Amino acid sequence: MFFFRILPFLLILVLAAPAGAQDKVFNAETFTLTNGMEVVVIPNRRAPVVTHMVWYRVGAADDPPGQSGIAHFVEHLMFKGTKDMPPGEFSKRVKSMGGNDNAFTGHNSTAYFQSISVGSLEAVMKMEADRMLNLTFPPDEVLSERKVVIEERRERTENDPRGYFQEQMRAALFVNHPYANPPVGWFHEVGALERENVKDFYGRWYAPNNAILIVTGDITAKELRPLAERIYGAIPRRDAPARQWTDVPPLLAKMRLTLHHKSIRQPMLSRLYRVPSCAMNRDECLALQVLESILDGGSATRLYKELVVQKKMAVSAGLSYQGSAVSDGTVSASLIPAADVDVEELEWAFDDVLRNLISNGITEDELRTAKDRLKDEAIFARDSLMGPAMIFGQALVASETIDDIEFWPDNIEKVTARQVNDVAHKYLNPDDYGTRPYVTGYLLPPARSEKKE
Amino acid sequence: MKKFFFAFLASLIFVAGCKASAEDRFLDIQEVRSASGITAWLVEDHSLPIISIKFAFAGAGAAQDDPGKQGLAQLASNTLDEGAGDMDSQAFQKALADNSISLRYGAGRDDFTGSLKTLSRRKGLAFNLLRLSLTKPRFDTDAVERMRAANMTRVRNSLSDPEWIAARIQNDIAFAGHPYAMNSGGTLTTLRNITSNDLKSFAAARLTRDRLLIAASGDITKAELSKALDKIFGALPAQGALPPVKDLTVQGGREIALFRKDIPQTIISIIQPGIGRGHPDYHAFQIMNHLYGGSGFGSRLMEEVREKRGLTYGIYSSLYLLDHLKALTISTSTENGSAGEVLSLITAEMKKIQDTPVSDKELSDAKSYLIGSMPLALDSTDDIASIILGLRLDGLPADYLDHVGAKISAVTPADIQKAARQYLEPDALTTVVVGQPENITPTRAIDVLPNVE
Repeated sequence: MFFFRILPFLLILVLAAPAGAQDKVFNAETFTLTNGMEVVVIPNRRAPVVTHMVWYRVGAADDPPGQSGIAHFVEHLMFKGTKDMPPGEFSKRVKSMGGNDNAFTGHNSTAYFQSISVGSLEAVMKMEADRMLNLTFPPDEVLSERKVVIEERRERTENDPRGYFQEQMRAALFVNHPYANPPVGWFHEVGALERENVKDFYGRWYAPNNAILIVTGDITAKELRPLAERIYGAIPRRDAPARQWTDVPPLLAKMRLTLHHKSIRQPMLSRLYRVPSCAMNRDECLALQVLESILDGGSATRLYKELVVQKKMAVSAGLSYQGSAVSDGTVSASLIPAADVDVEELEWAFDDVLRNLISNGITEDELRTAKDRLKDEAIFARDSLMGPAMIFGQALVASETIDDIEFWPDNIEKVTARQVNDVAHKYLNPDDYGTRPYVTGYLLPPARSEKKE
Repeated sequence: MKKFFFAFLASLIFVAGCKASAEDRFLDIQEVRSASGITAWLVEDHSLPIISIKFAFAGAGAAQDDPGKQGLAQLASNTLDEGAGDMDSQAFQKALADNSISLRYGAGRDDFTGSLKTLSRRKGLAFNLLRLSLTKPRFDTDAVERMRAANMTRVRNSLSDPEWIAARIQNDIAFAGHPYAMNSGGTLTTLRNITSNDLKSFAAARLTRDRLLIAASGDITKAELSKALDKIFGALPAQGALPPVKDLTVQGGREIALFRKDIPQTIISIIQPGIGRGHPDYHAFQIMNHLYGGSGFGSRLMEEVREKRGLTYGIYSSLYLLDHLKALTISTSTENGSAGEVLSLITAEMKKIQDTPVSDKELSDAKSYLIGSMPLALDSTDDIASIILGLRLDGLPADYLDHVGAKISAVTPADIQKAARQYLEPDALTTVVVGQPENITPTRAIDVLPNVE
């Protein structure tokens, strides 16, 4: 989940990591500057344009206790001026050069990017390097931007019970873990963030050795390197804190959240599981990616086929694995019951799909077709400027390697049926979840005693 | 493909007037004509093994739906790919997914559109599936019922989304008495009324060759495409008669309609008349909109409402251009307590751009952005096909993009002021507010949402 500085018109989010066959998918080139800043170049010569991104290894999971939303607030303030750049000027300058820019904050990272003609790359690199070091935090700008962030939260969360509900599901799953907090921050904490808090946070985390530069487009490493050395390399290295996050303790009680809300007309069933991320366990991550495609690789795969087409208990049924994280990943499922079906009945039927898969295993055809679909995704992933930069950024902030991305199709090909059956059994078993229970959510219309809106 | 962009970027530097030579065009669009006379515009690009075909049945969109069958085009778009020829829904969907073929239909207000994206090595199968879905759709009861339920669910689900609510009310008031006022996604009642026979009649009457426009891009040659056109589209009926749709101007000027909803933030949605791409004042109007609220950061609305006062996460104005209606819209959201202030700022900024000429710097920055950012829109094979189809739908020549830069460059501050005075109507806006806004005096209260139940 990312919170953008501004709502993007065109958000290209390639969630599954990509890749082609036998060869490297992207043929990325990498080097490290003397101050420790990592650089990745992904050549794409279709047009004389580039996407320039800087990713910081700091995100909402690094918000200090009581200061949720601070990483995201700093991201907003990165547009509020340096010694050389008046507040609010950054995006205007990018636009005047014919470029687009934006920024976003997730639990694991904060990233800034511009898409622009290659001739303007040096100019935006200088602007980006400037705000890595020289933010000024004008007090009146901090105050008015805090109001903006609160409006952002209202728009996404307070205004729609579906936003609230998602937030609470996550909070329940990640007990004692910073992934429990929404990147935008809890309402009562965001409003209390002060200038000194954000200044401290920025000073602690924004350093070249804690950042990754990714450039995709009409440029090579050989061309970029001297520019990067001169512009980013001039920023002195500064020690950034080690990321220290508290962990989820063993949990025994089964968790089910129910929200009856007056603006809900359509009941919905959600599930959220805590599973390994790609960074935590590469082999299990690959198996989970195959499992995801077997359960939800379109309407001819298990979940939709069994629950919507055959049993007619659901109107829709979807499941996705999010493996890009420093700490745990998640599997989330979202289902809508058919008109005459209770949400409890649907939950039982959903669990039956999993029980059936766990006791009988996946079929050869399911394994083959899922792998083929995933490998094809890697080819489509190259058909974009921003997409590959997103893939590399998300993977590298979590300390996955360049080879994990470049050889992803080969690694997917090696996944066995047994590995897939194992992760299903280990993480999605409805009857034995060990000490990591999943959270079930019922989002429902008002109970009979309440009044409808 | 790089060559396509050169002339265009050069126009930034050398400004207007210079004619692009054939090999120096922004997009090298070739016209392809099949043996039977079906035409398509193609941008060939063999850098990735991907083909994208986008097409439209112009004028066959939701505006043709009977008021009692609102949602017919939408339901057709969901069911054309749910089984065709000898393949039932599951067989058809499995063939698509297992071969990574993406086939989608869309029901716009004006046009009914389709898009196919495939790896080039699967093009034979992909073209065949597309042909079957267009010419031999089954509309099996089971599939129709599933898609009907999914659409009804979508409507019920949207009821917690205040922006969706605002759009329903705006359409009803601003387009009163016209098919555009209807709910193109269908109402809960009209969705129930649509039968398999309606869908069959839809296909026979609306999917005809006389209204078919086709765009293609990627890894396919002229000769291959020419053959494919006959194979895919050749069996469609040559002609179909659809009733004409009347032209319309925005209704309800000076109205402020309030839908009271228990949420902390008010949604504001405004519409007023505008002009379209063919109008002589279009580029002045387009740039005026960009400066007023179209550009996001840097626009006057964003400066005044977000950057200076922190009253919103985003505020945008946009050109809303349909075949039979040209309009300008403004949308934002703000805390209930600031709703009146934001509404005043929206009209005050309109008056300001009418009263005072824009500065040369503001105008030249806007031109640089509008011209310089054009190559960024050509990010993927799909994007390129979309742009070409857009030209065809608007009846523009294939070299339109080679000359648009010169037209934009020619606009003066006086042109902008003239357009602002002539077309902006700060005292006659059609306004919809959803929430509990303060300091706004509504002219009417809406209790029952139009075209939902």
